[in-house]
Parts: sequence; C-alpha cells; structure tokens
Amino acid sequence: MKRPVILTIICIVGILWSLANFIYVFSPFIKKISDWAPAIYGIIVALQFISFIGIWHMKRWGVTLCISTFFTKIIFSIFVNDVNYVGIALSATFMVFFLIFYRKMADEL
Amino acid sequence: MLGITIGIFAIISVFTITDSLEKKLRDSVRSLGDDVIYIQKWPWTFGPDYPWWKYIGRPVPNIGELNEVQKWCKKGEAFAFMVSANGTAKYKSNSVENSNLICISYEYDRIRSFVIDRGRYFTESESASGRPICIVGNTIAEGLFGEADPVGQEIKVRGSKLTVIGVLKREGESMLGNNVDTQILIPINFARNLIDMRNDRFEPMIMVKAKAGVSNEELIDELTGIMRGIRKLKPVADDSFALNQTSMISSQVNDLFDIVGIAGWVIGGFSILVGGFGIANIMFVSVKERTNLIGIQKSLGAKNYFVLLQFLAEAVMLSVIGGAIGLMLIYAGTFIVEATMEMEVGLTQSNIILGLTISALIGVVSGFVPAYTGSQLDPVEAIRTN
Repeated sequence: MKRPVILTIICIVGILWSLANFIYVFSPFIKKISDWAPAIYGIIVALQFISFIGIWHMKRWGVTLCISTFFTKIIFSIFVNDVNYVGIALSATFMVFFLIFYRKMADEL
Repeated sequence: MLGITIGIFAIISVFTITDSLEKKLRDSVRSLGDDVIYIQKWPWTFGPDYPWWKYIGRPVPNIGELNEVQKWCKKGEAFAFMVSANGTAKYKSNSVENSNLICISYEYDRIRSFVIDRGRYFTESESASGRPICIVGNTIAEGLFGEADPVGQEIKVRGSKLTVIGVLKREGESMLGNNVDTQILIPINFARNLIDMRNDRFEPMIMVKAKAGVSNEELIDELTGIMRGIRKLKPVADDSFALNQTSMISSQVNDLFDIVGIAGWVIGGFSILVGGFGIANIMFVSVKERTNLIGIQKSLGAKNYFVLLQFLAEAVMLSVIGGAIGLMLIYAGTFIVEATMEMEVGLTQSNIILGLTISALIGVVSGFVPAYTGSQLDPVEAIRTN
C-alpha cells in the first residue's frame, strides 16, 4: 500500500526528533542521572528511530515497536523525574494515526 | 570509522577529565569539611550587585568570640580559630619561601582532616601556653631537612625559633588551594608574637563543625543568633559577619565543569554525527556491491531478518572498533596527562561502558537503513544485478 502523506510527515518529524534525541543521549545532563542512564536512554532512542523506519515502509512491526518504546520512555521519564507532558501528548497523537492505518500495513519483516 | 573514533575520543576524554576533577574537588571539600561553617569577615561568593562597602567596615573574628561561640553553641561539635600568613622557613642554610603559616587553636585537628606522618599534634597545655612548637608539611620538611628526620629540630620563622614536633603526610595539590604540604601549623597563642591577628590581611576565622545529624542550615541559624548576640547587633541591623561553607565553592566549580562538559558534548556530538553518516554511506555501498550475493542467499532460503542482521552486525562492528580505538587513545592520554601535569586522571568503568554503548548504538542507527534496504531486495532482481 502507498504510504499516506500524513504518515510521511510524521515519520520525517519522528526520524529527525530521534536523531536530535540521540545527540542528547550522551550529554552531561543524562550522565548525571546515573552511569547506566545514557545506555538505557540510547537504546530507547535507537529503537524509536528503527520503529519510524518500519512505519516508513508501512510495516506493522514498526507500529508495535513504536508503541513499546513510547511506554518504555514514559517509564524511564518517571524513574528519572523528567516527565515531558507535551512530548507524551505529541507521541500519543502519532500513535493514533499509526493505529488508524495499522490494518493496511504489511505483516512481514 | 575515523569520525566515530574522534567523536568518542572527544566526548569520553571530556567526561574523564571532568570526572577526575570532580573527584579531586570532592576530596578537597571533604578534607576542608563539608559540615564546617566558617565565621569570617568576607563572604566567599559574590553576586552581581556585591555591596563591598558594607563588608569593608566589619570587624574580624577574634579568640574572645571563639570562646563565646564555644560556650553558647549547642549544635557544634568542635570549634577552632585560625589565622593564616605567609613566611619563609629557615633551617641552617636551607630555606623554603612562601610557606603557609597556619596559626591554630587546639581543636583544629577535629575540624580539618589531616594525617601526621611523623611526630605528634600539639597537646592542650602546649596550645594554651603558646609554646614555640610547630608541625610542618611534607614539602617544607623535604626542603629544609632533605632525608633527615625533622622532629625535634629547630627552624626559624619570621625571626622566631620553633621546634618541629610533627610532619604532615603528603596530600598533593588541592583544588581549593589549601595544600597542607606547604603549611606550618603553629599554636595560636604563640602566633600572637608573630602576626597581628586583628589584621584583615591574615583572614582570621572561627571554624565550627556541626554535630552528627545537624544540618549546616541549622548550625548557621544558631551561629547567626550567637554572633549577633556577641556583637550586640540591633534587630534591624545587618549581620557584621559572614557564615561560609564549602558548598559555596563546590557549586561554583561545578558550574564550570558543566560548561566544559557541554563543550565536549557539542564537539563530540557533531563528530559522532558525521561518523554515523559515514558508516551509513559505507553500508549503502556495501549493500550495493553485494546485491548479487544477497540474491543468492535469499534464493537459498535466507530470511529477510538474516540479511538484515548480517549488515547490521557489520555496521555495529565498524562502530565498536572505532569507539574502542578512541577509548584506547584516551587510556594512553591519561598516562601522558598524569606524567606531565601531575594530576590523577583515570578512565572509569562507567565511561568505558558509555563509550562502547554509544559506538554500538551509532552502528545500529546508522546501519539500520542500508541493512533494511538490503533485506527487502527481491531475490530474482538481486541475482540479475552485476
């Protein structure tokens, strides 16, 4: 199925946002949280980036991975006392659009 | 790979240096006592609207005030008075210039942590009677006596003879400038003969160590009330003294560390970004060149995920090798820094893990798109490609 325009826009925004977050992973601010925080946050961001690649190719595993990393990121934010409600609202909006087109996406890898 | 190496080198080297400096600062603060309040004339930190004219007329603390504070303060565990000056120490034909003369009251050793390598500390009666004795720092001892034992020997400081009763253990350079190796500890009651303790130039101060379980804020509140009572300040009058604590210094230095950390992060971050694009580029070329092989693999039954993992592993391996080289360069660099700058710098386990993890993640992120593209190739079309 051809990728809808809205998903194209969301994927571009998401990929750029993930790359920006990836730079933030090894900042002194994340390192101050704990020794393992950069590694854990980095894995979350990397998986988020991969999920957007999957959604770009209209694959269901992309949506599944995106939703998983969304909740994992929320749990991580709660643990480090840095919950960004605007980011959560934005991500939740993206999830809604992904789920709208979920049935039209391919099942295989 | 070079971009990853440089990026990891930049970021981890900055983290290594700031971690080492922070550790050194924490050790220096701990030796000064992070539970000690210093009653002085001048505050240690100044804001943008620093009203220096208010402080200049303040009286300096004196021993009489120490006795009063000791009498009334319930939250303090130890109380000491200290005055510092510079002087030249002489022994026969040897001399050490710019020694720090630290003139102290008896309980100073309960507040400031130091170790006496040889000899002993003052007794209470020696301190009270103002005997001409001293304890010298390691650098002073080596400069005046060489390999000989200084204990029992007589040195001359500011025209007065002092008998050495102890030598302090070497501590090395302190970040806060209180290097015990160049200090000579003298009983305050003898030091009255050497220096004018009412002179602001010698920075007289009262030090109060908090009891266990008492916070610095609680002690500050109590000391404020006591000092205002001692100096008979009216309720509307400002304090005529400053209550300082080491956290003031450490917080300012921490701000500096943050700036250095951010600078290293920005430089390293851009370098890693460039390195990541480089790896992605190499992997695209690699997929293009091996399209034929991918077609043959798929026709023989290889799944998409197999092809994906194959190229992803290659990208991760390239990144991790680049990161490992960067870490090895840092490790070699720590030896050079330690040898040339006499500073303890160590590559910690957490920074090594951080460096390798970042490298691996960059490999995953930058290698995923080409790997996925290769895994999606049609086997028939791929085999046909030359």
